[in-house]
Amino acid sequence: MLPLGKQLLIMDGGMGSELERMGLGELLPEDCNLTHPDAVRAVHAAYAQAGADIITANTFGLNRIKYRGRFPLEDVVRAAVENARSAGKEVFFDVGPTGALLAPVGTLTFDEAYAAYAEIARLTSDMVGGYIVETFSDLYELKACMLALKEHSDKPVFATMTFDKSGRTLTGSTPEIAALFLEGLGADALGVNCSLGPEELFPVAERMLRATGLPVIVQPNRGLPVLRGGRTVYELPDETFAAWAEKFAAAGVAVLGGCCGTTPETIRRIAHLGGKAVPARSVSPVTAVCSATRLVRFDGVRICGERLNPTGKKRLKEALAAQDFDYLLGEALRQEEAGADLLDLNVGVPGLDEAAVMRRAVCSVQESCPLPLQLDSSDAAALEAGARYYNGIPLLNSVNGEEDVMARVFPIAKKYGAVVLGLTMDGSGVPRTAAERTAIARRILARAQEYGIPPHRVMIDTLVLTASAEQPLVAETLKALSEVSGMGVGTALGVSNVSFGLPARGLLNRTFLAMALACGLRMPILNPLDADMTGTVRAHAVLADADRGAQRYIACYKDAVPAAQTAGIVSPSPSVPPVQGLAESVLRGLPKEAAAFAREELSRCAPLEVVSGVLVPALTEAGARYERGEFFLPQLIASAEAAKAAFAVIGERLGTGAALRGKVVLATVKGDVHDIGKNIVKVVAQSHGYEVIDLGKDVAKERVVEAVLGEKPIAVGLSALMTTTVKSMEETVAALRAAGCTAKIFVGGAVLNAELARAIGADFYTPDAPSFAAALDRLQIKPQST
Amino acid sequence: MNCSEWRRAACAYLGCRGEPSADLLARVDACLDEAYSLAHFAYIGKTYTALPAWLHKQPYLGFLAGCTGCVLEAMTLGSEVERRVRALMTTDPARAVVLDACASALVELLGDDRERELFGEERTPRFCPGYGGSDVADNAWLFRELSPERIGMQLLPSGMMAPQKSMAGIVGLGKRGQRACGACMLRPTCNFLKEGTRCFRSENNF
Repeated sequence: MLPLGKQLLIMDGGMGSELERMGLGELLPEDCNLTHPDAVRAVHAAYAQAGADIITANTFGLNRIKYRGRFPLEDVVRAAVENARSAGKEVFFDVGPTGALLAPVGTLTFDEAYAAYAEIARLTSDMVGGYIVETFSDLYELKACMLALKEHSDKPVFATMTFDKSGRTLTGSTPEIAALFLEGLGADALGVNCSLGPEELFPVAERMLRATGLPVIVQPNRGLPVLRGGRTVYELPDETFAAWAEKFAAAGVAVLGGCCGTTPETIRRIAHLGGKAVPARSVSPVTAVCSATRLVRFDGVRICGERLNPTGKKRLKEALAAQDFDYLLGEALRQEEAGADLLDLNVGVPGLDEAAVMRRAVCSVQESCPLPLQLDSSDAAALEAGARYYNGIPLLNSVNGEEDVMARVFPIAKKYGAVVLGLTMDGSGVPRTAAERTAIARRILARAQEYGIPPHRVMIDTLVLTASAEQPLVAETLKALSEVSGMGVGTALGVSNVSFGLPARGLLNRTFLAMALACGLRMPILNPLDADMTGTVRAHAVLADADRGAQRYIACYKDAVPAAQTAGIVSPSPSVPPVQGLAESVLRGLPKEAAAFAREELSRCAPLEVVSGVLVPALTEAGARYERGEFFLPQLIASAEAAKAAFAVIGERLGTGAALRGKVVLATVKGDVHDIGKNIVKVVAQSHGYEVIDLGKDVAKERVVEAVLGEKPIAVGLSALMTTTVKSMEETVAALRAAGCTAKIFVGGAVLNAELARAIGADFYTPDAPSFAAALDRLQIKPQST
Repeated sequence: MNCSEWRRAACAYLGCRGEPSADLLARVDACLDEAYSLAHFAYIGKTYTALPAWLHKQPYLGFLAGCTGCVLEAMTLGSEVERRVRALMTTDPARAVVLDACASALVELLGDDRERELFGEERTPRFCPGYGGSDVADNAWLFRELSPERIGMQLLPSGMMAPQKSMAGIVGLGKRGQRACGACMLRPTCNFLKEGTRCFRSENNF
């Protein structure tokens, strides 16, 4: 058993650079395990003799996705471990990234990455002493790897990420995020490696040391790389490396080794530190959650946006039922813009497979919205699906005092490192008194600890009852809040519940919010689009001395004008000429005005007359201006957005929604990840009143066929950017034909033209978004009437 | 970096041929700061005095004729700007396309700046596989030489690179070259050319 965290452990250094020095630079390092085992063993032996406690197998690029060598993967794995064992020390299997980028930036899926690492774990668990997961820069890929190792092996896992000089990974994670995340996923030691030399990594390591109580591992390069005669070399003197090693050890690092360019001599120079007592560190744990790029620490008040919850929201229910995750994302982004720090996500709609929808909703939101998520469900399977595919450390909403609920949810929280929200109620409902609620809070905290979940990974909601029905109990909620807060535990409240059934709800909500904040509320769950509520939180931060110098407050409100002074203002911007009618609103790209004028037109004309008499001509004019070079993309799209707003009003009148002219399926074909062109086509087609089923990018032909057969659109539009992906487009067209698709097939994209479109069997080629919409209009002259 | 050139290049990416209107410029200006703050430019360049074997074919030989050496290079803005464009496509698509254009122009200009800083003025413009009849599959050679995975880039089987705002190419050294349309894959359908202008700064436009 390694004395991890007690005595400083020494790991080995670079392997690739050593093999290159031995003249094997042209070969794949992993293949050398079989082609040149003596050379590999010699490197391992040299590191063991230099004083390394742990020898890393020569397996950095050895996973099914990355490895492109000459031998069966299993053979290389076995040979590599045997070679490492020959040094007579503890052997850790080296697990590196797949080299592929996960979707949506690349095309690799989370499950594919997981499968590749699970295979490695299955092959090696009985053969090695542990794993060193290293040089990861994408938190999501690291999650796939950590889960695969933890689910297939009980051996220790050390995990390191690689950071640039600004202290962030290539995908934007900070050392604090990495620490929280790896601690949550059960790493035995965590830290930093590669990219930089010891001097540059020192501040990153210091941040890690401040962020985690777990043993910290550091494996720097031998300085920054230098180009010599077209080759990358590392020239930092070993004694300088060793001097930095002393500093790392003194700062509290528990495992030291080397990365690129380090040699057995480098390790020999630091080996004397091995076995020295690791200095004790005191790290005060703070309740925190994160996404890949945002850390939210509950050391102050943090706003949880409540709008991704279908309860009482018809449009959101419809969107979830239709799997329209764009709508969900739009709601998420609006809350982010309004000042939310994290978002509650609830997808519970009767009749839907909640776990499946939760998984897709989590993936859709996190792809574009950087805020951490609170996964909200009473279904443990949905919580687990969300937590598994969530890229970060989530909050789980919720457990309560009931034993079976805790027994279902705590294991999920433990496994995924989540923070759990505990509601102070049980099978008998919400207790009336603060004392009873506090007792439940204590029970939840105690039971969490039995599952290995420390108090700082629990938050407590003392539950708001409506003032209209339970007026005296409002005070009990606040009293319980104060007591739980006094226990040093993070607190949450769904604030706006207080005002149900009473008029002027906003007034009650913000007053109650101010009272709760004064009692120690850390996470109000509220509607961030309500400026009075976010304003109350900001004002509280000033008055509670949390917003030092009132900087954030002033930044938000420096231009605020008292309401009384704005009452008489008629035209706030006299320099902007007034808009004359619906057509002009569309051409000037003004959605609010377009909606207002559409309402006005509807008072005079039939809905379909407004469409054919005003909207379509206006959009045709926008297309013509684009064609003439008077409009460019942003103006064209702004017009489209304004027309969409008008269509929404007309659709409301007709009871059809904004899409009243038929359905269109769009996809960027398999292999193609550039989708801005397809997205522009989508916006413009929607603006012409078509419902767009957007399948996204890198879409397999089978999925296009399935959607077209299922949705029965009037047209399907395929996009491809490169000659290489036109092939994939051709296959998709063929698959659609073979499946008996009757919808017209449109193709577009940078390298397409009419001739090529014909050659691959498409019905139409359209060079840009307006021409696509115009062609649709020609296909479908008349809007559907009701 | 030359900001006015950046604005003009972004307008050109948005399809503006000629002097941008005040409205278009205002939209571009509103995105420059965001594009810059989301960009995490990373660059790898490797210098060769003898051409790697895979460059011993046309059109590379023609492009590099008269050069004393060449640079293989790869660069990216990273994926954060891409994510923001994706988000804006949902909430404000008009801004999304402008931010995307600003990012496209930015990676080009930062690449030019880095080349100037590293290799001086005696160099050709960048030539990327896929231009001028060259095969986009040659990107695989560039990736083999440079391992741009180190800076978070990936070559997809289609020959495309991820993140989207990434480039890989070849620069000739010891010879001054100018951008020209002959090498461009979009030449047959180019609207700029049809109107007698260029998408880049030259005597014929701007």
